[in-house]
Amino acid sequence: MGKRSAAGPVVRAQPDAELELLTGDLEGSSSDEEAQDAVPQRSPRAGGGVERETAPSSTSGSKDGASASGEDEEDSDAEASSADEAAADADADDAELDRALVDLMAAQAARRGGAEGGAASVEGAKEDGYAAGTRQAGQELPEPGAAEDSNSSEDERPDRNTVGDVPLEWYRAEEHIGYDVEGRPLARRPRPDRLEQLLARADSPGTALRTIYDAYNDEEVVLSKEEIRLIQRIRSGRFPHVEVNPYEPEVDWFTREPEIHSLHQGPEPKRRFMPSKWEEKKIVKLVRALRKGWIKADRGAPPEEPPAYLLWQDDGLVADKTANGLSYIPAPKPKLPGNDESYNPPREYLPTEEERLAAAAEAEEAGERAPLLATAHDSLRRVPAYAAFIQERFERCLDLYLCPRAKKKRAFLATPDSLLPQLPKPRDLQPFPSALAMRLLGHTAPVRSIAVDPSGQWLASGGDDGALRLWEVRTGRCLRTCLLGGKVVCVAWCPAAETRLLSAAVGKRVVLLPSGVGTEEQEASAAAALAGLPAAADGGAPGELCRWQARGEGEGAELLHGYAVARVSWHARGDYFASVAPTGNTQAVLVHQLSRRASQTPFRRNRGRVAAVAFHPVKPFFAVATRTHVRLYNLAKQALAKKLVASGGVTCLAVHPSGDHVIVGSEDKRLAWYDLDLSDKPYRALRYHARALRAVAVHRSYPLFASASDDGACHVFHGMVYKDLLSNPLIVPVKILRGHKVVDHEGVLDCAFHPTQPWIFTAGADAAICMFTNP
Amino acid sequence: MWEKKRGQAGNAVQYITRNQALKKLQLKLSEFRRLCILKGIHPREPRKKTQGQNKTYYHVKDINYLAHEPLLNKFREAYAYERKIRRARNKQNSALAERLAARRPVHRLDHLVRERYPSFVDALRDLDDPLSLVHLFATLPAEQRHGIPTKAVQTARRLALEWQAWVVRTSALRCAFVSVKGFYFQADVLGQPVTWLVPHALAQVLPTDVDYRVMLTFLDFYSTLLQFVNFKLYHTLGVRYPPVVDPRLEQAATGLAALMQDLARGAGAPIEGSTKAGNPGEGAQVAERASGAAAAEPNAAAAERLGTLEARLAQLHQEVAEADDAADGAVGAAASGEESGDEDAGGIDSGADASEGDDDMGEAGVSPTQRRGGVGAAPPSAGPDLSSGGALLLAPDPPTTVAGGAAAADPDDEAAVCGALFRGLVFFLGREVPRETLLLAIRAFGGTAGWAGEGSPIEESNEAITHQVVDRPTQGHRFLGREYVQPQWVFDSLNWRVLADTRLYAPGLAPPPHLSPFANPEDEAGEDAYVPEYAKALRRLQEAARAVRARTAGALQAGVFLDEADDGGARDASAAPAADAAAAAAERLYAAELAPAGLGKRKAGAAEEEDDEEAMAAVMMPRKARHLYASIQKRRGAKRARAAELERRATALAGPGAS
Repeated sequence: MGKRSAAGPVVRAQPDAELELLTGDLEGSSSDEEAQDAVPQRSPRAGGGVERETAPSSTSGSKDGASASGEDEEDSDAEASSADEAAADADADDAELDRALVDLMAAQAARRGGAEGGAASVEGAKEDGYAAGTRQAGQELPEPGAAEDSNSSEDERPDRNTVGDVPLEWYRAEEHIGYDVEGRPLARRPRPDRLEQLLARADSPGTALRTIYDAYNDEEVVLSKEEIRLIQRIRSGRFPHVEVNPYEPEVDWFTREPEIHSLHQGPEPKRRFMPSKWEEKKIVKLVRALRKGWIKADRGAPPEEPPAYLLWQDDGLVADKTANGLSYIPAPKPKLPGNDESYNPPREYLPTEEERLAAAAEAEEAGERAPLLATAHDSLRRVPAYAAFIQERFERCLDLYLCPRAKKKRAFLATPDSLLPQLPKPRDLQPFPSALAMRLLGHTAPVRSIAVDPSGQWLASGGDDGALRLWEVRTGRCLRTCLLGGKVVCVAWCPAAETRLLSAAVGKRVVLLPSGVGTEEQEASAAAALAGLPAAADGGAPGELCRWQARGEGEGAELLHGYAVARVSWHARGDYFASVAPTGNTQAVLVHQLSRRASQTPFRRNRGRVAAVAFHPVKPFFAVATRTHVRLYNLAKQALAKKLVASGGVTCLAVHPSGDHVIVGSEDKRLAWYDLDLSDKPYRALRYHARALRAVAVHRSYPLFASASDDGACHVFHGMVYKDLLSNPLIVPVKILRGHKVVDHEGVLDCAFHPTQPWIFTAGADAAICMFTNP
Repeated sequence: MWEKKRGQAGNAVQYITRNQALKKLQLKLSEFRRLCILKGIHPREPRKKTQGQNKTYYHVKDINYLAHEPLLNKFREAYAYERKIRRARNKQNSALAERLAARRPVHRLDHLVRERYPSFVDALRDLDDPLSLVHLFATLPAEQRHGIPTKAVQTARRLALEWQAWVVRTSALRCAFVSVKGFYFQADVLGQPVTWLVPHALAQVLPTDVDYRVMLTFLDFYSTLLQFVNFKLYHTLGVRYPPVVDPRLEQAATGLAALMQDLARGAGAPIEGSTKAGNPGEGAQVAERASGAAAAEPNAAAAERLGTLEARLAQLHQEVAEADDAADGAVGAAASGEESGDEDAGGIDSGADASEGDDDMGEAGVSPTQRRGGVGAAPPSAGPDLSSGGALLLAPDPPTTVAGGAAAADPDDEAAVCGALFRGLVFFLGREVPRETLLLAIRAFGGTAGWAGEGSPIEESNEAITHQVVDRPTQGHRFLGREYVQPQWVFDSLNWRVLADTRLYAPGLAPPPHLSPFANPEDEAGEDAYVPEYAKALRRLQEAARAVRARTAGALQAGVFLDEADDGGARDASAAPAADAAAAAAERLYAAELAPAGLGKRKAGAAEEEDDEEAMAAVMMPRKARHLYASIQKRRGAKRARAAELERRATALAGPGAS
């Protein structure tokens, strides 16, 4: 009933008295007998209803008979008045059928509810069900064939309508409901009104319940009781036909048990008595294989070797080589468990909650398994299985065959102190400055430079406050203060004993001052050296290299340079001195002669920014330190004697009094000791300062040198140079002097040794000068 | 002139990468892996990685070594053979397939063991990993899903038991530690420490991200190795290998006990050390009880017992003498203010109950609590017993000391102490305690043990039981004559070679912390290491036990040579440490007096000086040494900080309780 169900048949209970009468009339004479034998026949037919299936006409008869079986008796003597009774009787029989019908209706209505076209038609039909009832009663009359058709199987009965699977409300407004096979429109039949419906229902309540309205074909269909039973059976999930039993007991005709008697009567074939050809072929194959030795005859299991035997006869011979001649590297053993791996560790081993979380977070971040933290269990029975046991064993296995092994040459260290170099104790290398003896306070700004006079009595200092101060070393008294009108970046004494002359670099000037602390002869010779210079001219930059000019009365002289001067360095004899103007390109280094009051530039080319210069103490050599190299020029030959490679950013330079060693400090926190006889590379490069080096100094008589750095420390070293050429200089750090504070990233700015005593002076950015003496 | 070309000498030709090796050997990676595992070939770290940084390098000699391995061809043959079987199967030729499958070529790994471990000591040195893996697989289920064959598991189990049996028999066990991971054991095998880890006897969940084939390959080699090692060990002992397992005990899943029986029976010539003189009787007795059905065995056991009886008598004489001396030692120890007086009852002589059976149980079963009570009061109670021969076998108890059954052992002879620590103690293991590990520990230290369950040589109601090991919150019925302890007592006692105070380990109590015997503060940087409070207590106990042993040993020796030296020797043994202690105490006092008296400032200055000196010395160090030095210092610092932190926590934890 594909199409019809799609169109949504409307099932309606209908009092269809005429229809009932009609069927009664149609069956007429035979109705009694039919009814008679239909009732008793029902039960045997239920067993095997093949006949009924094959004969639709008899089915229809029996259906009607069954439906009307109760009524027909009444019909014979009574009419509509007794219809109620009849209905009451029939209800007893048909109650369940009716219930089934109502169920069916409700189910179908619910099922159709969602469908697009059907829904509207169903609802429409429901609405006007009673209104349409009377009209239909009239329609039903003239077509007995249709009633017969409706009794036949649905597959056999063609549809009247041919519109196909379209929503029926498309035809709602039309006069016709569709088209027949010839294409003529099928007129819509008038529907019975409610009164007719009521009457019909009252006439034959049994049939009315079984009547359904087929909206597709616009006709009423009365279902037979058999059909309803069929539907009921289908709905309850049983096989539709009563006679068919789908679960027949199985008779297995073909069992797997061999029968003793053959099922057929034929004679045994001949091949049963003949040697098999295929077997023969196989045997031939095997024989050939055996002969040729391809397969071996099975002589039982091979002799069982003993599972274990005495493998090692020797004892104690340990080989450190593997069989392939390589050294045997045993896998490192896993660490043995400590207290924190115990199932019941001491309570102090238990991590706090934060530690636990931190460890877990760390492991998660690293994508590793959470580490095993100490956990306490109060008894052994509470210890669970270790979840990562197999995983850990597996990882150990992986380590064993995947990890590259290397033999670590691990020096045996009894104590880590054995790594420390074997140096003489500092206390055996005394004297050296170790104790802070004096702090000279007076400057108001960082002290840039200090210098001790050759006699060791006086200390000159210059700082950013523009003052040059002269201190008495013994008492710490500030003897003189000269304001030089600019930041004093360098002070230096003239080493000549007969001339107690003081020099200072201030801006573009090099100022030469009579110190005023010497003897009368010294003062006189100093005054003579500076006398007779032209007065200071007002012109700005000098035309020549540098202009010698006098300062005020008794205030010495000054050399006006073209560029800012950073350093002044005297030759040991006190006649020559050099000034360094780092920005001066080819005029960066000027060498001045005091006696002739002449200046000259020794270098024609600029070889880098000059940081410091120094005269050789005895030989006519001149050392120039650029940022990357230290060049040693032979002044007599006017040639480059040696070029030392520095590490970078040279800031200061000092020449050992022997003249064979140069000490260089640089910005990369490194102090380099060059042995000029050895190489152009440092003999020792030491990196111990935390910041750039500012100054290095070498003691003139004691084997001491020192370095000052911006980290606020001054390191004093014992630097012994031996006379014999075979032994290298001995360098031993002896003292770290921390007398200054770090101000604006500047610490100790300069250091200078006392010429005769093992004392050192340091100038700091904290505007103080410290004097350290030996205790 | 001949010019040296790149890549023709040195590391470039000595090392090849793994892929190159695979190509050279014409192997798949899995085959190569298997071969490497079996042959013990591992990548090496070349000085220069010529082929790239992120590659694995093998030495050419290693790869050549693999190329000449007979196993390589065996594997190839096996592969071809498998293909034959597969082919037969696919051709529905099941007969052929069956025949082929039954005759699969086998390979053995004996030669690999010999190659990799030319001497026995080599094998012993590498025994940690094999034992751990074998013990793991002994507990694993034979899972089809992960391809773990049943046979491998069975073999692992057998080998593990054989090893344990040997350890028990020779008393080679030195330490046992209950970790959250499992039980760590350390044995001393021919002077080599061998450590292995046994998982807790709970069902292991097999993780899926583990390649079990790798582990099975390792297991393959390891079980071969262990088999030969076991053979050699049993051979040295003069016992047949493989030992025969008692089927009845095996059925009862008693494991070690089933195996031990064969060992104890001494299939070969029994090799007995002097310390083991008392043991065969016990073994025989256990055997007798366990398999009384066998007709021949009681006779053999009886004969053995008869044979050893005389030796036994002589030994007992000696032990009585020892006991006497040891009693003096104990009294001395108690008098010296140590806790030894409180300590648990020591051992009952093992020989007595073991060789005598039940007839003397009534007398031997005097409640240990009574005995304990009479410790200090009547040490020479053994005196009158000496006179009567019958009473001799009652085995007068040695004094209750912390030294346990090893009171007479030479304190410097670790093996003797370990082998006799639990001698004379009879343990009964509840069904909730890990039986196998405890059996191993107890019997290796000379004790006797029974357990709740089938196959136990001793019933729970036996009067001879001195210690019942239980692990339950409350103990219902208690027998009077025995101590009830938690399993940790056994492990703590054997680790420290003393009998710890049983009251601390009573069931239901939270036991004292379980300390690792491997965390040796002496090994680490001296005073830096942190020593927990309980370790200090145990160490004091240990010292007491040591003193007892030293005195006993001294007395014995003196008794042999010179009678009157007895006192002197004993006094020396005890006096020397006492003098040391006094000196140390005086020094400490002096230091404490000096400390607040204004040394602080100078000390601070001195410390700074020292720091400066250190910094200056570091100036002159080469860079490498400087880094090394710095790292060492850093590590020491971290260790010191950890110790300090632990110390701080310990005081914080102890603080509220103390105040």
